Amino acid sequence: MRFHVVKRENCPLWKKLGMYFLAVAAALILGGCLLLAMGVNPLAYYGRMFTMGMVGNKIAYKAFENYLKVFAPLALTSVALSLAFRMRFWNIGGEGQFILGAVAAATVAFKLGPILGEGLTLVVMCLAGMLAAGLYGLIAAALKVKFGTNETLMTLMLNYIALYFITFLGDTKADWNFYLDPTSVRPIFGRFADLASFPKIPIGKFGLNICVVLTLLVGVLVFVYLKYTKHGYEIAVVGDSTGTAHYAGMKVGKIVLRTVFLSACLIGLAAAFKVGTAGILSTNITDDVGWTGIIVAWLSQLNTLAIFIVSALISMLHYGSDVAAATFSQVDSSFANMLQGVILFLVLAADFCTRFRILPVQKEGANNGNG
Amino acid sequence: MEMDKLGVVTTFVHNIVVYNIPLLYGTVGEIMVEKSGSLNLGVEGIMAVGAIFGYIVGCYANSLAVGILVAFLAGALCGLLFAALTVSLQANQNITGLTLTTFGLGVYFFVGNGVKAISWPAMNDYANIKNGFADIPIPGLSQLPLVGRGLFTHNLLVYLAVVIAVVMWWYLRHTRTGLRLRAVGENPGAADSVGINIKRYKYAHICLGCGIMGIGGYYMGLNMSGSFSSSCWINGYGWIAVALVIFANWNPVLAILGTFVFGFFNTLRVSGSSLAAAFPDVLGWLAKVPSQLYQALPFIITAVVLVATSIRKREGSGLPASLGLNYFREER
Repeated sequence: MRFHVVKRENCPLWKKLGMYFLAVAAALILGGCLLLAMGVNPLAYYGRMFTMGMVGNKIAYKAFENYLKVFAPLALTSVALSLAFRMRFWNIGGEGQFILGAVAAATVAFKLGPILGEGLTLVVMCLAGMLAAGLYGLIAAALKVKFGTNETLMTLMLNYIALYFITFLGDTKADWNFYLDPTSVRPIFGRFADLASFPKIPIGKFGLNICVVLTLLVGVLVFVYLKYTKHGYEIAVVGDSTGTAHYAGMKVGKIVLRTVFLSACLIGLAAAFKVGTAGILSTNITDDVGWTGIIVAWLSQLNTLAIFIVSALISMLHYGSDVAAATFSQVDSSFANMLQGVILFLVLAADFCTRFRILPVQKEGANNGNG
Repeated sequence: MEMDKLGVVTTFVHNIVVYNIPLLYGTVGEIMVEKSGSLNLGVEGIMAVGAIFGYIVGCYANSLAVGILVAFLAGALCGLLFAALTVSLQANQNITGLTLTTFGLGVYFFVGNGVKAISWPAMNDYANIKNGFADIPIPGLSQLPLVGRGLFTHNLLVYLAVVIAVVMWWYLRHTRTGLRLRAVGENPGAADSVGINIKRYKYAHICLGCGIMGIGGYYMGLNMSGSFSSSCWINGYGWIAVALVIFANWNPVLAILGTFVFGFFNTLRVSGSSLAAAFPDVLGWLAKVPSQLYQALPFIITAVVLVATSIRKREGSGLPASLGLNYFREER
C-alpha cells in the first residue's frame, strides 16, 4: 500500500497540544531508559530536576531567584527573535547582538555610572544596549534588503565577530581597557555592581528582580504590537508573502528594516538586563540564549504567550539539570542538552502530524508518478 | 642560523595542514549537503559525535580503519536524522541543524565524561592507531626543499581529505548523478518533473556529507592524541567550516585552497610569535597582533565574500538557489 502526504488545514489546538505532550513524554521516557541503564532511578532524577531542588529546601527562594535569572533573558530574547522570524527573516544573530548590547551597557555603567547616579545609569544602560544591538542587527537587514544577502549566513558570521571582540576585551591588559579589573594582574573583567545594579522588589525573603517584571511587560507590549497595530499587520503580511505586501502598496524593505531593528533592540535590552543584574561582563555572558532562543521561538510557533511557557520549561530543564548533577554525580550535566535535543527532534516530528495528513493512495488515483 | 629559520617556516607550513585538515572534511561534507539544497547548521555537533564514537571505538578495536568507519557511520546517522526530519517530515532546516549541534555536543560530553569516569583510552597504548596516524612522506615530493616536509609529509587522513575533495569535485562536475544532484539543489520542482527521485538524492547525499564531517571530527581527536578535557575537541571548527563553504564558493577543490587560507590565520595565532622571533625585522609586528583578530578573520573574510557575491548577484556563484527551502511536491 502506498501513502500520500497532504497538507492539513487548521489542526485543532487540543490535538496539537496533545501531540506535543506525547512528544515530550516520549523524550522523557527515552531519557529515563538511559538513566535506568546507568543505574539511576529516573523518577528520583526527574523529580530533582523539575522541582529544581526547591522541595524541602529552606533557602528555596534563593533557588527560585536563580531560576528567574536563567528564565528572563531567554524569554526576552525569544520574544525578540520571534518578531524577525514572523517575516521569515532568519535572524540567527541573537548571540552577537546580545554580546554587543552587553558591552554597550557595561560601557555606560563604567563611564557614566560615577556621574549619573544609579537610576539614570540603569536607564541609559538599557538604551545603549538596545541601540548597539539594534544597529548590529540592522547590518544584516540592510544587506538583505539592498543586495539580497543571505541573512542566515550573514548573522552567523556576525555572531563570531562579536564573540571574538568580547574575548579580545576580556584578554587584553592595556591602559585603555577600562572593562578589566585594574587591581588584578591577570586579565579579568571588573565589577560594576556598586555603580549600577537592577533593584529587587522584596516579597518576604524573596527578591523579585525588576527585570523579570519588565520582561513580562515587554512580552505584553509585543503581543499587543503584533496583534492590534498597523505595524503588526504589516509584519504578518510580509511573512505570508512579500509579493502580496508589495502589491498592497507596503514598503517591504522599510518594514523589514524596522522590524529587524526592533527585534535586535529587544535582544540588546535583554543583554542590558543581564549585565545590570550580574554586575560584571563575561565572555559567556549570553549563556547561549541567542541559540536556545531560536529553538524556543520556533517551538512556540512564534506565539508570544507560548514563548513564555516554553522558555520557563527549557530554563527548568537547564537549571534543574545543574541542580540534579550535584545529587546524581554519575549523570553529567550535559544530559540536559541531550534531552533538549531529543525533545526537540520528537516535537519537530509531532509538528509534522499537525501540519500534514498521511492518506493511503486510492487505486484509481494512482497515476501520480513514481512517488 | 639560516637553517633554523627555514625550519621555522617549514614547521609553520606543516602546522597549517596538520591542524586545519578537519576544516576541509567539514567543508567538503557541508558542500555535499548544501548542493542537495539543505542548509545544515549542525556541522559542529556532527563532527563532535563522529569524534567521540570514532575515537573510543577505534581505540578499543585498536584499528584506525575501524575508527574512521565508526566516525563516518556516526556522522551519517546524524545526517539520517537530519534528513528524516527535514526531507520527510518537512521540519525547518535551521532549527533542526541548530538542535543537532546542541544534541551532538550533549552526546559528546555525556559519552566522553561517562567513559572517562570508567577508563579513558590513551592513544599511545594502541600501537595500530598510533602508527596508522604517523606521517607518511610522499616519495620524491617530500624531498623538495622548504615545502617537502611542509606539504608532502603527512598522515594518512590528510591525504584522504584531499582525495575526497578532488573526487567530489569531479563527481559534482562531471558525472550524471552529480549534475542531477545540483539540479535538485537549484530547482527541485524542475528536477522532480524530469523524473529525478528528490527524496532519494537528498537522503543519500545528506548522509554521505555528514559522514565525511564525522571523519573530520575523528581527525580532531587523533590530532590531540585523544586527550579529553572540558572544552570540546571541535572547538568551533564546525562553524568555520560553514563559513568556508561560502568562501570556497561551493567548490570542493577551492575548499582545499580555502582551508589553507583559513588555516594560515589559525596557525599565525598559535605560532605567530615564533615567526616574529625568527624574522624580527620583517615579521616582528606579528607578535603585536591580538590573537582574537586571527580567530575572527575567517568570519570577517566570509562576511565580506558573502556581501560581495550578493552584490554581483548570481553570476558564477555556486550558492544553490533552493538552499534552506524544503521541497513539498504539492506546493508547486
